[in-house]
Amino acid sequence: MTLKTMVQSLNQTLDVLMAENQNVILLGEDIGKNGGVFRVTEGLQNKYGEGRVLDTPLNELGIVGMGAGMAMYGLRPIVEIQFQDFIFPAFDQIVNQIAKIRYRTGNQFSVPLVIRTPYGGGVRGGLYHSQSGESYFVHTSGLKVVTPSNPYDAKGLLVSSFESGDPVIFLEPKRVYRSIKSEVPEELYRIEIGKAALLKEGSDVTVITYGSMVSTVVDTITKNRVNADVIDLRTLLPMDIDAIISSVKKTGRVVIVHEAPRTLGMGAEISALISERAMDYLLAPIIRVTGPDIPFPYIYEELYLPDERRIMDAISKVKNY
Amino acid sequence: MSPIGSLSNDQILSAYENAVRSRTLDIKVVNAQRQGIIGFHVPSEGQEILQTAIGMLLHKEDIIFGYYRDFSLLMKMGIPVSKILDQMLGNQADIEKGRQMPDHFSFKEYNFSTIQSPVGAHLPLATGAAYALKYRKEEGIVVANFGDGATSTSDFHAAMNFAAVFNLKVLFICENNGWAISLPTKKQTVADIYRKADAYGMPGKRVDGNDLISSLNGISEAMDYVRSGKGPYLIEGVTYRMGAHSTSDDPKKYRVDEITDGSDNDPIRRLEKLMLSMGMINEAQISEIKRRAREEMDAVIEERRKIPKPEPESIFEDLYSEPAWIQEEEKRSIL
Repeated sequence: MTLKTMVQSLNQTLDVLMAENQNVILLGEDIGKNGGVFRVTEGLQNKYGEGRVLDTPLNELGIVGMGAGMAMYGLRPIVEIQFQDFIFPAFDQIVNQIAKIRYRTGNQFSVPLVIRTPYGGGVRGGLYHSQSGESYFVHTSGLKVVTPSNPYDAKGLLVSSFESGDPVIFLEPKRVYRSIKSEVPEELYRIEIGKAALLKEGSDVTVITYGSMVSTVVDTITKNRVNADVIDLRTLLPMDIDAIISSVKKTGRVVIVHEAPRTLGMGAEISALISERAMDYLLAPIIRVTGPDIPFPYIYEELYLPDERRIMDAISKVKNY
Repeated sequence: MSPIGSLSNDQILSAYENAVRSRTLDIKVVNAQRQGIIGFHVPSEGQEILQTAIGMLLHKEDIIFGYYRDFSLLMKMGIPVSKILDQMLGNQADIEKGRQMPDHFSFKEYNFSTIQSPVGAHLPLATGAAYALKYRKEEGIVVANFGDGATSTSDFHAAMNFAAVFNLKVLFICENNGWAISLPTKKQTVADIYRKADAYGMPGKRVDGNDLISSLNGISEAMDYVRSGKGPYLIEGVTYRMGAHSTSDDPKKYRVDEITDGSDNDPIRRLEKLMLSMGMINEAQISEIKRRAREEMDAVIEERRKIPKPEPESIFEDLYSEPAWIQEEEKRSIL
């Protein structure tokens, strides 16, 4: 086992998937010769040829639509959208085509398509290289939405997404691409879609988070010696409701942390699910620590991102309620 | 296939019968909609000859990405009227389980892909299917049909460009029927549609879509080109939407009909006149073909409408490869 960054882990996973299955095709902008703007596909076109790693024209709906057609007719495409901020021209293809094709054809067709895309802020990317748009996709039945928080999970979740048989929006937290390393086995392994990870165990409070915010939350909890359950959702659609509810029944206090804007973010849904299922166990209001409802500001991104101070404020509030 | 010389009388007669059956089904379905038997319909009246010509030239392994106004094509591909009606009625025999509005067909078994409502959105999928054929070195081409309105969509642009850049076997066929609901083609685009092909580096050709021979000639030339691997091709079949956009539309609000059922410029009447002039058929035989079509369609509608609806539970099926807890929970709370 070697220590790998998330970029290296994803690259090695794609390499193994391509080596094992001739039908795996990668397509996206600048992913071939250039290896992708974040280098996730580095070296793969050299190894597998231009017929399997496609540098496409600059058109996201064309990329997703072509990937969907490939998937319907027996190939196993993995699409890269260069930044999640640029996925919106493909929104109709995602919401009205790939998410609905199995359903509307009565299971005659399926779309086993993985759409990988880097999301989130913290790399000085401004309004259009920083967004966290997971809610748009979580609102669409027929999709699965997955986001790893570390290099190890990135591999296991990508393999499971690839094998799931359904369209998966695979959100890669770009701030974490190179900032943390973990041991990543060479061989393929799987992390079940729909299963959260309990990263820390405690009894005072449940902190629910995912993707780009996980390392911030874990560092904050560790540094401040908070006696907390920390749940990394890993899959946003469908969420691991059992993991959430069993922790809430134990602690009775909940803080939800995400980078995406507060209004109709994941926190809203989690909060509603908890109130429907575990109202009697709650000892304090559920508090959300999120990005504000503004576009992602260029020079003040540290104000946008939830940090130790805001997370600890929320934890104090629910503990002292 | 080339000019009329190589077309047998049987082929012409069979094309004619297909167009008449399609027209008859359209009329019967609109009547059924008025009676509340079928919920909605997008009639293909006026476009039968162009669509029939496409169907005549298809190979078994070709993949079709059609649109919601392709009755005659479906019929020429050999898809039984009973299956067409099952979808429109949304009955238990409907392979889509009653989930889609009428005319939104999916017949994988017949290599007819799947139809959505958003105009043009199937065109990028067609490029992916063509890439799959190319990658596996399989026989066949992809034929993508769409109306003139679709040529304004981003999807059309993306698909034309991708098909050309990756040199894919896609035959794009614009069924230019003159209208996108209320908008005439001249307000949809200032350019000639077939010439848009130039911008993508592929050939384009306009055919008289209301004339069988012109349609067959143009489409067969385009198909030869695409089958030979030279790249994609755009055909503009100029035709006319004789009916309303749909059963929810009243075209009197925005136009005066230029072609009506049985008028001299009706494409079916034009083919009749050709066959009459060649001595292939007489008026009595024409009446007999039309009578048989009416009888056939009445009988199939009567038979298929008796089939009950799918089970209510089925609305929660086929979302994922495995059911998810969310839908299972919602199913329990609703049913």
